[in-house]
Amino acid sequence: MTLDIAADLLGLLADTTTEPRPSTQLEALTLAVAADLPVLLWGDPGIGKTAALNQLADSLDLPLTTVIASVHEPTDFSGLPVLGADPAVQGVPMAPPDWAVRLAASGRGLLFLDELSTAPPAVQAALLRLVLERRVGALTLPPGVRIVAAANPRGSAANGWELSAPLANRFVHLQWTYDHEVVVRGLGGTWPRTTLPRLDPERLAASVAYARRAVCELLTARPKLVHQLPSSETKRGGAWPSPRTWDMAVRLIAFGTAAGTSREVLSMLVRGVVGDGPGLELLAGLDRLDLPDPEELLADPSAAVLPERGDLRQVVLEGVVEAVRRHADRDRWEAAWAILVRALADGAPDLLVVPAGNLAGLRRDDWPLPAGIERLAGAMNVARRAA
Amino acid sequence: MSAPLDTEKLYAARLFAVRARPYLASALFALHVVESPEVPTMAVDRYWRCYVSPAFVARMPLADLAAVWVHEVSHLLRDHHGRGDRYVKAHELTGPGVRLRLNIAADCEINDDVYGDGLPCPAGAVHPADLRLPEAGLMEDYLPMFRLGPFTDGYAWLDCGSGADGGDRPWDRGPDGAHGLTEQERDAVRFRVAEAINGQPGRASRGWRRWAEEAFHPPQPWQELLGAAVRAATASAGAGDDYTYGRPARRAAALPRVVLPALRRNPPRVCVVIDTSGSVSDEELGMALLEVAAIGRAVGGSRELLGVVSCDAAAGVALPICRGEGIPLIGGGGTDLREGFASALRTRPDVIVVLTDGWTPWPGSPPPCRTVVGLFRRPTDEDHDHRVAVPPDWARVVRIG
Repeated sequence: MTLDIAADLLGLLADTTTEPRPSTQLEALTLAVAADLPVLLWGDPGIGKTAALNQLADSLDLPLTTVIASVHEPTDFSGLPVLGADPAVQGVPMAPPDWAVRLAASGRGLLFLDELSTAPPAVQAALLRLVLERRVGALTLPPGVRIVAAANPRGSAANGWELSAPLANRFVHLQWTYDHEVVVRGLGGTWPRTTLPRLDPERLAASVAYARRAVCELLTARPKLVHQLPSSETKRGGAWPSPRTWDMAVRLIAFGTAAGTSREVLSMLVRGVVGDGPGLELLAGLDRLDLPDPEELLADPSAAVLPERGDLRQVVLEGVVEAVRRHADRDRWEAAWAILVRALADGAPDLLVVPAGNLAGLRRDDWPLPAGIERLAGAMNVARRAA
Repeated sequence: MSAPLDTEKLYAARLFAVRARPYLASALFALHVVESPEVPTMAVDRYWRCYVSPAFVARMPLADLAAVWVHEVSHLLRDHHGRGDRYVKAHELTGPGVRLRLNIAADCEINDDVYGDGLPCPAGAVHPADLRLPEAGLMEDYLPMFRLGPFTDGYAWLDCGSGADGGDRPWDRGPDGAHGLTEQERDAVRFRVAEAINGQPGRASRGWRRWAEEAFHPPQPWQELLGAAVRAATASAGAGDDYTYGRPARRAAALPRVVLPALRRNPPRVCVVIDTSGSVSDEELGMALLEVAAIGRAVGGSRELLGVVSCDAAAGVALPICRGEGIPLIGGGGTDLREGFASALRTRPDVIVVLTDGWTPWPGSPPPCRTVVGLFRRPTDEDHDHRVAVPPDWARVVRIG
């Protein structure tokens, strides 16, 4: 056997094709990298985190630099103190390692810090500055450099250290899992290819306004969510809400909106920066922002378009009744009835019972029954039978 | 030719269900009804569509129909299809009966506390007692406890759809069909229901309260948590592998003008205090002790650095763990952990791990080292709850069992 024949066989093995296939996690990773936020991929060893990074670097056309954090010393990140001829005059410069110098010289690149959670505490402390300030010793990495890290979950880490809360707070945490089907097809020779999100230049300003409004509305209503250090054993080392992560959430929503990404991707990202509970509340807030405004519906009930989903539709109808309650007059009251009648035409009648009852309670004695109300009789039948 | 669907009755039943269980309103309203004569009764798919047989609606009394609504939405809220899929994959189950077993186990989880309080239990609903199973278990608890056989024959018709057990059905519209909910939308609905329950926990049954607490933070196995707590405690400054400028580095000789820190190995000294009072069983102690010994080895402690103190009203001497693995755990009667702490501190440990059921006086002030408490769960009846001695807040507590 010669190595030539072995090379031929290796060539055949490397000969694989790709097929388009949407991947939520890769899209989320791309968006976070585009938004220039450091990403931390959590996943068991050997499930393709590095492969995903290679694909990302290819598609973003960035050179990839991989640094295994756990085999480096703290000075590799904080800089090596080098004594000069006269330290009292010149000071002691902190010399950066070669990979950082090369990265800084090329001006752009993807820096991949692998095995972050198995790095000793002193190394993690040195990494804080790299991740947050992009500084390696005396060197500052240029803005074209993006940082992605990977860590093994506590259960599978051979001798894992826990990620400290301050370091955890600087990352977008993404859970990296494999899809059984993708792996089987890939080993058969066909790997997935994803189309990456593109930012729409027309929507930039609107996206920023939307993102700020969503986060500010939530935090105005729920001041407790602004800062919550993780308390329970299960949440340590993960995403938690703080002013820094809320700022990251604003950025991610703006990027997601400008790229027109799905809610799935946005959900992954938002929950990855502020944690599950606050993230879900923020997403629920986004859902509400997307619902039609009661005042607009009341202004033109004939053009009203109500959401299809029953639970959202009920939220809108209750919002309409609430709006009438705040400023009750006959026109608005009749407009609200018209909206209820429309809702009956293309949806389930049981949703209407509570809003209709509340609306009926707002009637003043001198207001006549509105036209079309007899069509709500069906809904009232439903209510009578359920009683 | 079957009769047309009585939508009015179906929706009246949903309204009835919403009135009986207000906290489930968003979930019930989020279901999209699909009329389907092929379905034996009522079934859900994983995209929150609800397939309804017209004949079933016609024959069920209204209140029973409301109970079925709640039953079906419970499958979705409790993610039975996802959990079923994971269980099947983890145990590599195959065969035609698997999905029926999943469905029965899922129904058992739901049916033991979803009815009553305004909702009648529909005829034919499977209850854990029918299969001679204990109540208040989860689907995963029930699955290994029964096989298909004479007890389950009566439920062979049972079919709550792919939303209950993850198996595809001929009537399913699939992920691309109209009116399906995406994963994020499903999460959002589940989140709103959990919020509604947590907002007014008094109105929900115990099963629902437990679900709401765990919906987005499923409990992790205690081994993992105890391991994480012990690792975190031993990894703090002063113990474990870390870099220090206190010693020259090995690389220093090659880099003459550079000041380098050295990796210094300072394995942590761990002392385990074991509550051997009558209230802790040998089996529990054995599991916990093995776990701590394994963790101790994993963090680099050698055998001499791991000590064990067995403690009831008085504490024994700290023994190295090599003898601790065969240690006669003498005890019984009451506990005074203050003795155990005092005895453990004489070995100057970096970390103290206490394994106890918590029925003990605790030291009044924090010991000069980190403390992890493994707390054995006791079946508490509700009136006892407030009297359980709580470990002090300077200790990291992991519940075991």
